[in-house]
Amino acid sequence: MANKKPFIAMLLAGGQGSRLGALTKHIAKPAVSFGGKYRIIDFALSNCANSHIDTVGVLTQYRPYLLNTYIGTGSSWDLDSHDGGVAILPPYATETGGQWYAGTADAIYQNLDYINLYDPDYVIILSGDHIYRMDYRKMLRTHIDNQADLTIAVMTVPWEEAPRLGILAADETGKIYDFEEKPKQPKSNLASMGIYIFSKKVLEDSLIADSRDPDSEHDFGKNIIPTLLSQGKRLFVHRFEGFWKDVGTIPSFHETSMDLLEAHPQFDIMAEDFPILTKDDSLPPHYVGPKGSVEHAFVGNGSIVLGQVEHSIISNGCTVGEGATVTDSILLPNVTVEKGAVVTRAIVGDGATVKAGAVFGSADTNVPIAVVGDDAVVE
Amino acid sequence: MDRVIGLIAANFETRGMGELTEDRTIGSLPYGGNYRVIDFPLSNMVNSGINTIGLITPYKYRSIIDHVGAGKAWDLDRKNGGLFVLPGSVFGVHSENSHFLLRDIRRNVIYLERSPAPYILVTAANVISHMDYRPLIMEHIRSGADITMAYNTCDRDEPHRLGVNVENGRVTAFKPNPLKYEDAMLDTFVISRDLLMKIIEWYSAIDYLDFFEAIEGDLDKMDIRAWKYEGYARQMFTSRDYFEYSMEVLNLDVAGELFSRERPISTKAAESAPAKYLDGAKVRNSMVASGSVIEGEVDHSILFRGVKIGKGAVVRNSIIMQKAVIEPGAVVENVILDKSQTVKAGSVIKGTGDTTFIKA
Repeated sequence: MANKKPFIAMLLAGGQGSRLGALTKHIAKPAVSFGGKYRIIDFALSNCANSHIDTVGVLTQYRPYLLNTYIGTGSSWDLDSHDGGVAILPPYATETGGQWYAGTADAIYQNLDYINLYDPDYVIILSGDHIYRMDYRKMLRTHIDNQADLTIAVMTVPWEEAPRLGILAADETGKIYDFEEKPKQPKSNLASMGIYIFSKKVLEDSLIADSRDPDSEHDFGKNIIPTLLSQGKRLFVHRFEGFWKDVGTIPSFHETSMDLLEAHPQFDIMAEDFPILTKDDSLPPHYVGPKGSVEHAFVGNGSIVLGQVEHSIISNGCTVGEGATVTDSILLPNVTVEKGAVVTRAIVGDGATVKAGAVFGSADTNVPIAVVGDDAVVE
Repeated sequence: MDRVIGLIAANFETRGMGELTEDRTIGSLPYGGNYRVIDFPLSNMVNSGINTIGLITPYKYRSIIDHVGAGKAWDLDRKNGGLFVLPGSVFGVHSENSHFLLRDIRRNVIYLERSPAPYILVTAANVISHMDYRPLIMEHIRSGADITMAYNTCDRDEPHRLGVNVENGRVTAFKPNPLKYEDAMLDTFVISRDLLMKIIEWYSAIDYLDFFEAIEGDLDKMDIRAWKYEGYARQMFTSRDYFEYSMEVLNLDVAGELFSRERPISTKAAESAPAKYLDGAKVRNSMVASGSVIEGEVDHSILFRGVKIGKGAVVRNSIIMQKAVIEPGAVVENVILDKSQTVKAGSVIKGTGDTTFIKA
């Protein structure tokens, strides 16, 4: 029996993220690189570390290999503790057979033993898909103050985005009285951020009941939350004001990345009071050559810039050859842009090469952002 | 390489470094924008498969112990072997050219006694290289020599190094003050544990004897071989060495060799975002570490982590250590700026490069 942990986290990192196309062909969405040196999952893991949560179960399923080795012992996020720490939780088999995680709720259900090992009072369910900074302790405060069964982090979103999201209605005390997953005609613009704090008993009971329902899709948004609401449980919102972004589509990935480059960005990745932690490779500083130029850009360690970089993110370990130009683009780690190549409004996958003299992407905003996947070669 | 343990002598005489080492050792001097000098021998040993390493620390040990910690960055926080921090001294060094004080090795003889490994690789903390020690060790084992020492040919006058005469692969004499094109020791050698223990015993009466002085009289009696290293290697003794050799990493060939992705040089991780270039950034022929924010001009310089270059500021031919701030409009030329220093807006500092070190 492990020591009791009053508050633990379960991080859902199994999503494929198919809307990111080529970027998630070989890896799960949470493992996709972001911001020059991070991976998307770093943001949720850093939030855990910065919220002093020291026990985190990471649920993986889709192409988990890279994610598993990336997280490793969790030491990059100070989660390599003897007591708790990070645990990778892939689907597993028992004496009655094994099965894939059928949905978000099923993934947690199948790991109730892990949760019970720590005998927590509260469990926070996170997804590894979002870019944000959040102190989960504040949300736990809301949960405890309301004596809630379930607390859902919410934020107001533009009305036009509401039909894509889980939309809630709450009274002035924050008590939820309505919830709709992806409503065609939203009644509110208060959206769920996919961050849930459950009182552990409620979580366990609802997951067990859900597991026995043959009609359920075993999804928190579609099944668990509506059921709890219909049972008259105490569901409350925790209002979050700050930056939160799902970078699950190419346009939003590109736009969110470009915003980092502003002098005063909406999301300041450099802010040191709530640091984003990541697995740091040992790389030397980047080098800008005698004929290189860089403006309005992020450049990661280990990169060599001999050409022109304007308004772009050059991730760790990239090379921009002489006479090459990279504009309004994101080079994921270890990309080579050879001599004289022109890359414009593009996302170039990890380890890809843009051959000498090649032209990739277009400045025309009517043309979709050019994307090429990991290890690809653009002639 | 279970048969070899490492010993790094970081207890160096540092008078030539002046103020640069007033509060730190040569080993903990920032180097290459991201590293400390000690990272090179430490990483090279680990990359050569040596997993038990003793680090003889000097009197001013705070900065170096802070840096190496339990050795986690080099995967040396292990149950078997790992990093051993061994106390040393620089009290009363009688010769400016002392390399390895036997006294400091003797003080830590228990480290040698405990290990079952028959060979010891000894190196100095002030060698910048990407040396693979395995060929040196293999050659030593193959030849059955008493000691095998790495050397190279000076490409300038290097008065602080120890010159060496090599005939038919044997070390026949040491000589001070090697000139350009002459051979000199790289203060890196392999010796059997038993022989090192014997040498320590023989000379235990003489307190401040240097290892090379100790064996100098026995060069004709012992089988001491020389192993030539052809790669990039620099040994730093003075602030001029520090400035010049630091600037050499702006040469892509040098950087490519030192920071090769094969056998990478590791360092203590520090979290910082990629470097950010804003409006007005003009950077040429420079190395810039993560966490830096640049709004001014930087030419032929090295910026360590978290450096801020304000709008319209100009930095030329300088080394700017971590978290230093160059305020808007300031001009900094030929200067080594210590960490966390601020150059006030509009001020102008022009130095002579190697000797102009600005610290608190």
